[in-house]
Amino acid sequence: MKPFELVNASSLSSALGALGQAKGAVAKAGGVDLLDLMKEGISAPPRLINLRTIAGLDKIAAASGEQGAVLGPLATLAQLAESKALAGVPAYAALAEAAAAAATPQIRNMATLAGNLCQRPRCWYFRDADYHCLRKGGNKCFAHSGDNAFHAIFENDKCAVVHPSAAAVALSALGAKLELQRAGKDGKVATRELAMADFFVAPSKDVQRENVLAAGELISAVKLPAPQAGQRSAYIKQKQKQSFDWPLGEVAVSLTVTAGKIAAASVVLGSVAPIPWRAKKAEAALVGKAADEALIKAAAEAALAGADPLDDNGYKVPLVKALVRRALTQALVSK
Amino acid sequence: MADHSKRDKGLSRRSFLRSASAGAAAAAAACSTTSKNKPKSGKGATTAAAQRDAVIGPQGVALELEVNGAKRTVTVETRTTLAEALRGALDLTGTKVACDRGACGACTVLLDGAPVCSCLTLAVDAAGRRVQTVEGLAAGDKLSPLQQAFVECDATQCGYCTPGMLMSCKGLLDRNPRPSEAEVRAAVAGNLCRCGTYPHVFAAVARVGASKAKG
Amino acid sequence: MAKRVKAKLGFPGHIESVEIELPPGEPAPWDADSKLAVIGKDATRHDALAKVTGKARYTTDIKRPGMLYARVLRAAHAAAEVQQIDVAKAKKLAGVKGVVVLPVRNARFVGQPLAAIAATSEDVAARALALCKVSYKTRPFVVQLDDAMKAAAPAVHAGGAGASAGAGKSANIRKSKSRRRGDVAKGLRAAKHKVEATFRTQVVLHSSLEPHGIVVDYKDGKADVWCSTQATFAVRDEIAKALEIPVARVRVHAEYVGGGFGSKFHAGTHGLLAAKLSRQTGAPVRLCLDREEEQTATGNRPDSLQRLTLGADARGQLSAMKTVSYGTGGIAGGAGTASPLYNLYDCKSKAAVEHDVYTNAGPAAPFRAPGHPQGAFALEQAIDMLAERAGVDPIAFRINNDKNPVRQAELRRGAERIGWDARRNKKAGGGAKLGAHGELRRGIGVANGLWYNTGRARGEIHVKLHHDGMVEVISGGQDIGTGARTLLAMVVAEELGLSPSAIRTHIGDTSGPYAPGSGGSTTTPTMSPAARKAGYRARLRLEALARKVLGLGDDAALVFADGKVQSKDGGKQISFKKLCARLPEQTMTFSGPRAPNYKAYRETTAGVQLAEVEVDIETGVVRVVKIVAVQDAGRLLNPLTARSQVNGAVLQGMSMALFEERVMDSQQGHVTNANLEQYKIAGAVDVPEIDVQLFDVYNGSNSTGALGLGEPPIVATPGAIANAVYNAIGARVMALPITPARVLAALAAAKKGGAR
Repeated sequence: MKPFELVNASSLSSALGALGQAKGAVAKAGGVDLLDLMKEGISAPPRLINLRTIAGLDKIAAASGEQGAVLGPLATLAQLAESKALAGVPAYAALAEAAAAAATPQIRNMATLAGNLCQRPRCWYFRDADYHCLRKGGNKCFAHSGDNAFHAIFENDKCAVVHPSAAAVALSALGAKLELQRAGKDGKVATRELAMADFFVAPSKDVQRENVLAAGELISAVKLPAPQAGQRSAYIKQKQKQSFDWPLGEVAVSLTVTAGKIAAASVVLGSVAPIPWRAKKAEAALVGKAADEALIKAAAEAALAGADPLDDNGYKVPLVKALVRRALTQALVSK
Repeated sequence: MADHSKRDKGLSRRSFLRSASAGAAAAAAACSTTSKNKPKSGKGATTAAAQRDAVIGPQGVALELEVNGAKRTVTVETRTTLAEALRGALDLTGTKVACDRGACGACTVLLDGAPVCSCLTLAVDAAGRRVQTVEGLAAGDKLSPLQQAFVECDATQCGYCTPGMLMSCKGLLDRNPRPSEAEVRAAVAGNLCRCGTYPHVFAAVARVGASKAKG
Repeated sequence: MAKRVKAKLGFPGHIESVEIELPPGEPAPWDADSKLAVIGKDATRHDALAKVTGKARYTTDIKRPGMLYARVLRAAHAAAEVQQIDVAKAKKLAGVKGVVVLPVRNARFVGQPLAAIAATSEDVAARALALCKVSYKTRPFVVQLDDAMKAAAPAVHAGGAGASAGAGKSANIRKSKSRRRGDVAKGLRAAKHKVEATFRTQVVLHSSLEPHGIVVDYKDGKADVWCSTQATFAVRDEIAKALEIPVARVRVHAEYVGGGFGSKFHAGTHGLLAAKLSRQTGAPVRLCLDREEEQTATGNRPDSLQRLTLGADARGQLSAMKTVSYGTGGIAGGAGTASPLYNLYDCKSKAAVEHDVYTNAGPAAPFRAPGHPQGAFALEQAIDMLAERAGVDPIAFRINNDKNPVRQAELRRGAERIGWDARRNKKAGGGAKLGAHGELRRGIGVANGLWYNTGRARGEIHVKLHHDGMVEVISGGQDIGTGARTLLAMVVAEELGLSPSAIRTHIGDTSGPYAPGSGGSTTTPTMSPAARKAGYRARLRLEALARKVLGLGDDAALVFADGKVQSKDGGKQISFKKLCARLPEQTMTFSGPRAPNYKAYRETTAGVQLAEVEVDIETGVVRVVKIVAVQDAGRLLNPLTARSQVNGAVLQGMSMALFEERVMDSQQGHVTNANLEQYKIAGAVDVPEIDVQLFDVYNGSNSTGALGLGEPPIVATPGAIANAVYNAIGARVMALPITPARVLAALAAAKKGGAR
């Protein structure tokens, strides 16, 4: 880790100001992924803007009426996992489940929601500074010609990383929106709001970044839509070992069931693509139908249609199909 | 034919950046005062780490920590991790660093009561917060019930994971005095024991839980 | 003058009276009739207090005044001629105090040590490394076993020894060992049932939580060394050689060692570098490796490719057994998987041929029962396959073909503990559909294991009696987490009628008496008889004193118990403490040199394991539900720590079976998962129920009859799990680790009616 300067920010606006002031300054929340990247020599920012010193950024505001829950960017995974505002609401259960299943107890106490969304891929070629891969500005994806057992089965033709954020998978299924802020030229704070799908960047668009955050821009809030009547969600992941391990596959689903039929469905796959992977064909297969075993099976088949595994990760196709079936079943039986 | 790649400059870029952090604090950090007093609120405002919106570091950052109930002032670099500050300037070497990447839990300490990896926590982020390490578990010569149970159940083998394992178990028991075995397993899922002592760790925590149930 | 005694040896239900010839001055072995107060009862670890309070100082925790921090410059290429190592700029960096450059002509793996720099901090040392300039002339390299075996493969040791190969042959293959008895071809011709199968296992990394590390403080022709090692005296000798000083001028300290598992028998290149840096700078030098270095360059369990051929007659009696194996860890070490096949099962005709294969990766090192879990994984699956073909139950097949009575009894015990007859699927894959989605299948499997060691005539223990009644036990050897330290105290406590906690132990300091390295599970069988000998000699001295003090005749029998010494009828007694006060010297030291072994009841260690697994046939994920580990423990000294060791071995075996695998990248030659995150080691949630069944076997090999338990209980684990997976799903996974990908592939192949 190279030496760096530090600014302990007192407020979000002062943090935004500080970020704008120094070239290459990087915001630090929990610091879990950032310190890892810095220790590995993947990142060497000259200045860190510390968001942990800002009070109130970890607040979780429960949904009320037409207003959905609003999550502070510095809410920890442990807070999300234990929050009654999430775990106690069937529509939001997937997020609490994703947070509870992530990493280790220690990491969940440290890692923040915004940090989790912005963490960089765990691809072992990307994480080794001596591999000058596409994502680091090189001209080759080493996973294509190397060991790709834990890599992408969708959108993997350019760079085969999988997106590492469990929260991103769940939030994508829940239709969350991200509020982003940056210091404007006039000194005022500029705010924009994005759907999850518009936040993440596929390699075909820009292989060197995972999201659209501009320099000096921060996630200032995560907004969930208000729970709908009959809406329930679920998140499932499968790891090789059941203690700390990165998932082989993840699925988050959100279903709104009215009058015995699925009125709205979202199915998002994780650990299969460089971005949270929306399974639109599966969603289309579900909407307007009454759920039964055959439908669930058909949706799972549809979810993996078009998967294009590499040499070592073909197992992910049947594995994730099973997870889709299970997640749908879990969501349908939940109250 | 010589290979003129950038990696040819003796060492790879990574090796430089990566290792440039290791143990940085050991020499750089210095412990200046020690006090048994509980920190008073507001007093920390005098240290650099307590300043807001000012640029501090990279070196010479004064910092107040409350470690095992005692207030300690140390001078660190901004990049100094909590593990480095504890093991270096404060000479609390009970806390171990085994992977230095948050994957093994050997460096687990409690920060405001919650288990965290001190290898991925900057020392400056512990300013003004309660830090508990393995050295703070016993009251003088009297072992805590958890430590006593670890001894009796043989929940140590080589002992290198033990401090982190103890702190994760303490974090659990403080929140949940009578955990189920599944809860114990989940609580130490981030603590790697290469000797495979887990069954005896489960037994030790169960013994503490059982004694609490009685009393 | 040798003495002959009769001893009751064997194991419960199979006790026999055996005449033993004792070496001069040795006590009779503890046998089935011995009434023991301490041995065989749980005793807490002598170092537990230090370990639970954080007071235990490991090598990584050592600080010395003026200590410098060293780091190692490592090769950036997997194969290259090293033309120049230019350290001029590094030397000029402020804070750099010493530089040692190794005479390396050829780099053969990424991470190979080239030089080391000592500086005032790790940070300065690391920055200095970055200023070193190494000129390489790179060559093609090879990191995978199959690639290295090809005729056209780059020669890993090109430019060095062993580089020549015949035309059409890989230069990387070296036949390492060939054993043969009987006529295998004839045995196979006579076979009614045959199995030919190929098995593969992966490279496994020791991953001790404390990395390799050393602190060398060299001053005035003397060196104090703190080292994370499992062989204090080997390190002493190596450092002495590096510093060109007598071994008596080197003192190695290793009171606490954060795991070794076979990887820490030597000072290592980093240790020699630290010694030279300390001599060069005149300051203490600390050189502790980081995790990436630990996982790249400090040893491994080599992988294997094993081709087995077994034959059995119509009644299921083995007629021939053959294995040809290849393996690589890297630039050194490789084979060694044939011993289970060669040493398990009664079969007249056996052949075992082993080959080392070289690749451009860090060298192998001994790892907990070297070669054996790999070999047993292949052998025990092949045995099950043969039993199935012969239509014989796997346990019956094993009992029929292995006359070792301990293992036979263990198999029966294990079968009973796991419910073999009632709960195992009669037809593989034919069990109930379990789980919320009907996706789970359970299965049960068995595997045999063995080990060899009853200790050697090496090393000694000192027992010191002080006039205040304090007893000290001293060994220069180490306890790497096995509990060996506590066992020494227990043995002496038994001899002197004291509680183990009343005895002070001093270990891990080569100023104490010699002890061999902790390897081969020899520490306990080698050192516990030495401890008994020292305690026995102390007791003889105290007996003579007590007879005098108590006014008893020269032949009067005495009882040492509960801190008292009394006449056999109990009529006269004196406290141990008061007796010590009458000793003629303030402190008396009794030496216990390890005598040669007695005539042994049985010289191998038997063990069997039974596994129950649950396989998710949709995801391919395997969960181990239960392991029954029935383990010959020799004379069981401390059940508490013995259970810890068996638990640990089973978990390492399970972790190897399901998760662990070093992944080498063929593009740049790096270990892609040289960390504890992507190198997957079983954690708390993966722990199955472990039913440890310790078999007390009074083997009479020496005065304690104890056996080491580090290695034996890992041998059977992967094979038992693999057989259980087959029983669960009806498809065999022939390679380790048993990943979801492999399970799903095996299921798909079985469905197609292909391999089974």
